[in-house]
Amino acid sequence: MTTHSSPQAKQRPFIRIRGLYKAFDSQKVLQGIDLDIEHGETVVLIGPSGEGKSVLLKHIIGLLQPDAGSIDFDGILIGSLREREFTAVRRRMGYLFQNGALFDSMTVAQNVAFPLAEARIKDQAEIDKRVHEALEVVELSEHKEKMPINLSGGMRKRVGIARAIVGRPEIILYDEPTAGLDPIVTDVIDHLVQRLQKRYKVTSLVITHDMSSVFKIADRVVMLKNGVVAFTGTPEQLRQSSDPFLQDFIAGRSGMTS
Amino acid sequence: MDETPRGPITALGLATLNFVAYFGQLGALVVESAESLLRARLRFRLMLQQLVAIGFGSQVVVIVTGAFTGAVFSAQSYFKFKDFGIESTLGGIVSVSLFRELGPVLSSLLVAGRVGAAMAAEIGTMKVSEQIDALRAMGVHPVDYLVIPRFVAMTLSMPLLIAEAIVFGLGASWLVAVLGFGIPDSWFWYHTIEHTNLQDFAFAMIKGVVFGILIVVISCHQGMVASNGAVGVGRSTTRAVVFSSLAILIFNFFLTLLLNHFFPMGLVT
Repeated sequence: MTTHSSPQAKQRPFIRIRGLYKAFDSQKVLQGIDLDIEHGETVVLIGPSGEGKSVLLKHIIGLLQPDAGSIDFDGILIGSLREREFTAVRRRMGYLFQNGALFDSMTVAQNVAFPLAEARIKDQAEIDKRVHEALEVVELSEHKEKMPINLSGGMRKRVGIARAIVGRPEIILYDEPTAGLDPIVTDVIDHLVQRLQKRYKVTSLVITHDMSSVFKIADRVVMLKNGVVAFTGTPEQLRQSSDPFLQDFIAGRSGMTS
Repeated sequence: MDETPRGPITALGLATLNFVAYFGQLGALVVESAESLLRARLRFRLMLQQLVAIGFGSQVVVIVTGAFTGAVFSAQSYFKFKDFGIESTLGGIVSVSLFRELGPVLSSLLVAGRVGAAMAAEIGTMKVSEQIDALRAMGVHPVDYLVIPRFVAMTLSMPLLIAEAIVFGLGASWLVAVLGFGIPDSWFWYHTIEHTNLQDFAFAMIKGVVFGILIVVISCHQGMVASNGAVGVGRSTTRAVVFSSLAILIFNFFLTLLLNHFFPMGLVT
C-alpha cells in the first residue's frame, strides 16, 4: 500500500488529529487516525462505506468523544471539552448532515436563520439578508416559506448546506453533500465549495463517493480504510498511484463479472 | 454484545446495573438542567409555546378529571355517610381528599399521559432524525433548548392545573350533594370550609411542582435516549408515560408522609 505523507507544515496546522481511536461496543471504527488539515485547504475524505468517515467528522465537531487520541483545533484540545465548553468552537464550524437534519417544526428560512439567531444577532434585516444570500447560493430562495417535509431529499440537503454556511464559519464539514443529487446540482455544490474557499478562505472537509467531485474540488485526498489513513495526497498523486485497491476504488471496479 | 448464555444471577446483576444506571442518568439530567437554569439564557418564546401546549392545552383533561372525581367521591360519601346520618358533613372529606390526594395525583397522571407522551415523542423524533445533533453542532445545548422551556412551563402549569381540578371537583361535588341528594347548601359549605385550610392548599401546590418535575425529567430523558427509529420512539413514549405515572404514585406516598410532618391534617377548631 502506498502511503504518501503530507507535506511538512510550516506552521501549526488548523486541525491536528493524532492517534484517534473509537469503537462502538466491539466494532472498532477508528484505529489510530493521524491527520493534519491546513488553513484554507479543501480535503476530501474517501473510502469504503462504514470505514468511519462520518465518525471522524463527528469527532471534529464534538458530537462523538474519542476513546483515545487527541484533536487540536486551532490550539484548543477539543477531545476533552465539556458540552458547554464546545459552544465557542462549534460556532466557528459549519456541519452538513448526511440527511440535512433540518428542524421539521421550522420553515426553510427559519432553519437557515437558526445559527444567526442563536449567535444573538438582533438585527432582523441583517438576518433576512444573510438567509437570503445563503439560500441564493444553493438556488432555493424561492422555497423560503416551505416546511422541510415538503422538500425533496436533494433540496433538504441544500437547505442543510445553506444553514451550514450562513454563520460564515472558518471550516465546513460536509457529510456527503452531493449524494442523491442530480449531476447539475452536484456541479453547483462543487462550485460552491470552491467559491467559499476562494472568496472566504474557508477550510473544507468533504466526505464523498463521487469521484468526479473529488478531482474537481480536492486540494488533498485522504482515504480511510480499516480505521486508519490509508492514503493522503493530491488528486494527481491519487490518479497516478500504483496501488490496485486505490485504482479499483477510483474506477468503481468490484472485481465481479456478470 | 457477546452471545454467551446468561444465568439468572447474571441477569439479575444486569437488571440491577441498568436500574442504577437509569437513576444516574436522571440525576445527571437534573444537574444539567439546574446548571442550565443558572447559566444559560431563558428562551422566552419557547417557554411561552410550552406554557400554551402544556398549561392551556391540558385544561379540558384536568377539568373533566377533577369534576368527575369530585362528583363520584361526593356520591360514594353520601351513600355511606347517610347510614350514620352525617351526610351533611361530606363537603369536608371531599375537599380535604381533593386538595391532598385526588386533585394532585389524578391530574398529574392525566398530564403525564398527555404531555409526557408528547415530550418523549417530539424529543425522541428529533433524536433519531439527528436534529438534536444538529442543535449541538450549532453550539446549542439540547438541555437549554429542549428541556428547560418544558421544565419551566411544567413547574408553573402543574400547580395551576391542580388548583383548577380542585375547583371543578368541589363544584361537581356541590352539584351532586346539594342539587342531587338535597344536602343543605349552607351545611355543605360550612363543612367544606371548616375542614380545609392553607396546609391542605400547600399540599396540593407542592405536590404539583414535584409531580411536574418528575414528568418533565422522566419524559425528556426518554426522548433524549431514544434510538432505533420509529420503534425506538414508540418505546420511549410508552416508557415516558409508564415511568412517570409510577414515579408519581410512589413519590406521592412518601411525599404525603413528609408533608404531613410539616403541614399536619387540620384539626377542627
